[in-house]
Amino acid sequence: MTGPDHGFEHGELVSLEEPRDPLWFKRAVFYEVLIRGFADSDGDGTGDIKGLTSKLDYLQWLGVDCVWLLPIYESPLRDGGYDISDFMKVLPEFGDLGDFVQLVDEAHKRGMRIIADLVMNHSSDQHPWFQASRSDPGGPYGDYYVWSDTDEPYSEARIIFVDTETSNWTWDPVRKQYFWHRFFSHQPDLNYENPAVQEAMIDVLKFWLDMGIDGFRLDAVPYLFEEAGHNGENHPKTHDYLKRVRKEVDELYPDRVMLCEANQWPEDVVEYFGEDGDECQMAFHFPLMPRLFMAVRRESRYPISEILANTPAIPGNCQWGIFLRNHDELTLEMVTDDERDYMYAEYAKDPRMKSNVGIARRLAPLLENSRDQIELFTGLLLSLPGSPVLYYGDEIGMGDNIYLGDRDGVRTPMQWNADRNAGFSTADPQQLYLPALLDPVYGYQAVNVEAQMRSSSSLLNWTRKMLAVRKQHPVFGMGSYEELGSSNPSVLAFVREFGDDKVLCVNNLSRFPQPVELDLRRFEGVVPVELTGLVHFPKVGELPYLLSLPGHGFMWFGLQPEEGTL
Amino acid sequence: MSDLDAALTAWLPRQRWYGGKGTPVRSVVVEHEERLPGPVDVRHTLLRVTDEAGGAELYQLLLGYSDAELEPRLKPGEVGLVKGQHVFDAVHDPDTTGVLLELLAQGRSLSRLVFTGSADLHTGLPARVMGAEQSNTSIVYGDEYILKMFRRVQPGLNPDLEVSRALAQAGSPHVAAPVGWLEGTVDGQTTTLAMMQVFARNATDGWAMATASVRDLFAEADLHADEVGGDFAAESERLGAATAEVHALMARSLATAVAGPDESVDTAKQLHARLDAALEVVPELAAHAGALRTAYDQVAQLTGDVPVQRVHGDYHLGQVLRTQDGWLLLDFEGEPARPLAERTALMSPLRDVAGMLRSYDYAARHLLAERGGDGQLAYRATEWAERNRSAFCDGYAAAAGTDPRDDAVLLRAFELDKAVYEVVYEARNRPTWLPIPVGSIERLAAPVISEGDDR
Repeated sequence: MTGPDHGFEHGELVSLEEPRDPLWFKRAVFYEVLIRGFADSDGDGTGDIKGLTSKLDYLQWLGVDCVWLLPIYESPLRDGGYDISDFMKVLPEFGDLGDFVQLVDEAHKRGMRIIADLVMNHSSDQHPWFQASRSDPGGPYGDYYVWSDTDEPYSEARIIFVDTETSNWTWDPVRKQYFWHRFFSHQPDLNYENPAVQEAMIDVLKFWLDMGIDGFRLDAVPYLFEEAGHNGENHPKTHDYLKRVRKEVDELYPDRVMLCEANQWPEDVVEYFGEDGDECQMAFHFPLMPRLFMAVRRESRYPISEILANTPAIPGNCQWGIFLRNHDELTLEMVTDDERDYMYAEYAKDPRMKSNVGIARRLAPLLENSRDQIELFTGLLLSLPGSPVLYYGDEIGMGDNIYLGDRDGVRTPMQWNADRNAGFSTADPQQLYLPALLDPVYGYQAVNVEAQMRSSSSLLNWTRKMLAVRKQHPVFGMGSYEELGSSNPSVLAFVREFGDDKVLCVNNLSRFPQPVELDLRRFEGVVPVELTGLVHFPKVGELPYLLSLPGHGFMWFGLQPEEGTL
Repeated sequence: MSDLDAALTAWLPRQRWYGGKGTPVRSVVVEHEERLPGPVDVRHTLLRVTDEAGGAELYQLLLGYSDAELEPRLKPGEVGLVKGQHVFDAVHDPDTTGVLLELLAQGRSLSRLVFTGSADLHTGLPARVMGAEQSNTSIVYGDEYILKMFRRVQPGLNPDLEVSRALAQAGSPHVAAPVGWLEGTVDGQTTTLAMMQVFARNATDGWAMATASVRDLFAEADLHADEVGGDFAAESERLGAATAEVHALMARSLATAVAGPDESVDTAKQLHARLDAALEVVPELAAHAGALRTAYDQVAQLTGDVPVQRVHGDYHLGQVLRTQDGWLLLDFEGEPARPLAERTALMSPLRDVAGMLRSYDYAARHLLAERGGDGQLAYRATEWAERNRSAFCDGYAAAAGTDPRDDAVLLRAFELDKAVYEVVYEARNRPTWLPIPVGSIERLAAPVISEGDDR
């Protein structure tokens, strides 16, 4: 597909209703969208839901299965919309509930799904619940938040935003008590000890499920319950509540997904899957991502091998979400101090690139715009165990603007074409929520969807091809993972298996060409078929299987028995 | 000489693991053979090989006998046609290697061979022979076990088995636990003929890891060793810590002693003697002889006690494996070319530290030898070596509680001794690499300044 008039404009319309597919999220490719930054339908300088709806054909063309939205709710926007002031309203700049229902319907017609962030742990201090709670302690909302006469309790809980907050308690001059907040002081934590809060939040979920939403990323779930002497993370009561939520969702709304945002080590995160997969179905694998970057910089597979070897097994109906970059900083919470210093030294040479405990940069600039490396990282993302999450704009290699501060640098407008405002909006350029990138390397004149659709060798078309290859092989989403050792530390090789669908993935993490000898005796007699070109490679014999890879090269092979190949 | 002896006389010197390189074989005598159970006629065979210089060695073979023409995959191991039978090296025969695993699992005793294996061994695993090795042949079963068959047999308990077993029993995470062994009686002594250990999956050796780091450094010639992405210092530090832990555990589980000043005098004499021998082979060393002897004399003047214990004995980056859990130390055999008594002698663990420090010098500089001289790269290589040597010592010091660099006189003397050995080796085998150890001697033999000064 090389022109904008072909392909996505006439996408096939299909229905999601039948047959049922409760494990769809295990095979899906997710795409994270910032509504504010994707497409502006009314020319006010801010992206909106209608704008996103108008781009669904593009996402279908690309091969996206599920769109993940950041918060869409009414909010004073002091924390990117994670400070929700009404859980059942759409932020007016984004549109209204009618726009949202239309988005979901149009996505479903294209065989795509929509999930959205929902913050479970806290609200904005502007939420009517909080306003009522502070002014009327004896009223119906008096107990909706966590209040205390002193700032002493729960001192074991760490402070998450160490850059800005000095305590998890803040004094409220109205109620004359301290309120508890694990995040910013304008985001009071809801009091889940109160059964009314538990009910109210389930009602919020049902409200959106009734609108047709396919699932939620439940934000900041580890912190729902606190207790004296406990660090306030992963409390057993939190798990009990999430199990209850899952049960109620499953009973009324089949095939929906609950993805938990728990920025923790995999051994802690697995608890959110429940013992039998009866809690959240998905969770992000946070520590994998920085280790991908470490492994390639060190030209050694061990950072990846170690973290995957130490990742516990998860229930069969659950799945990791994996990503290279997202709207947050490249978080370095899940690494040792030494490793953090290393990552800063390697990937954040300018102090402005640092943010909280991480690096606020997009994929392409992190990799110094090296096409080979971008392809290698994307290849890893699409082949390692888990469902891949793409971040909007990374499919065309968009850049960032580190001078915007905090995380805004990676949230600039999507670059659709070389027209005014990158085709994102018809507003005055000064009116945009953030300026479009203009620099000579990553600016929208150089990097945009329209130009890349026209070039068959573009990153966009390459990414689309790889998503299509992935889609042909359910093993990438469903299969087992087994790493193959080799004497070359710079090569990461693994086999994925799902019934007869077997693939071998070989990745050269070094900038130099590398040979690798693989022990493939288990597949003796098989003819490996390279998956992008269906090239037949020499038959696997008894001797070690020799492959040579160019610098930062990778290859995927199908391992079907000989008679089954083309 | 029998037909078999004659065939072996021609075949043996061509084998990579044959030790008597360069000296013609005078005679080969089958000293003992014993048929293994199983469908194929395979005989465990001990050969006494005498060379023209009068040296005699024992070698261990598994010889298969076949009436039919050999399969293609066994053909390269064919020894010859003896009395109408094709005789072949049966380690390449999967049926035979399968039988060995069975015998270990069963703990079988044959007339002169005793197989011992842990109770829970898995059998029926596919076997493959590992690539070229110096003095052993290793067979990997599935990805679970590795069986090392000693080709050249020295009577007695093999030190690798002895030390690995002791360390595994003491719970060390840094050794591959032995899970089986084969013993026989040789010259009246119970002798280790083979040992099987847990196979380290997904592992690569330290040399491959270190040289990947150096290659990365050389691609960024304007960056320093502590600035490049491929920095290896964190690995080196962990390797140093692992080494110290293993040393401590060896000291606890095996013999130790204390060497007094008299023994330091003896040590210095040995160092001088090895230098004398080296000077005869490489006269160019004479330019450094004075500095070397000064360093050795300082050892003789040591007044304190030196703790001695069992050590690895041939420690370098090729003897350590990076697994996905950390570092493993391999091959506690000492230098296989030396007599057993010397290989099991108690020594200062600084010998091993010196060996590894020398190995860092090699890792840093061997790519230079391939590229030819380049002052800029040579400078960077020195920085890399210094950075990783320091990190190794830091890790060692943190785990051991004592810094090996505090024993500067001994450590330097041992490093120099190792470098002198390398000079002889390179002069004989790889003259283009000679500048590596010679350069090291020039640096090391300079008067002692505290390493702390420049860090």
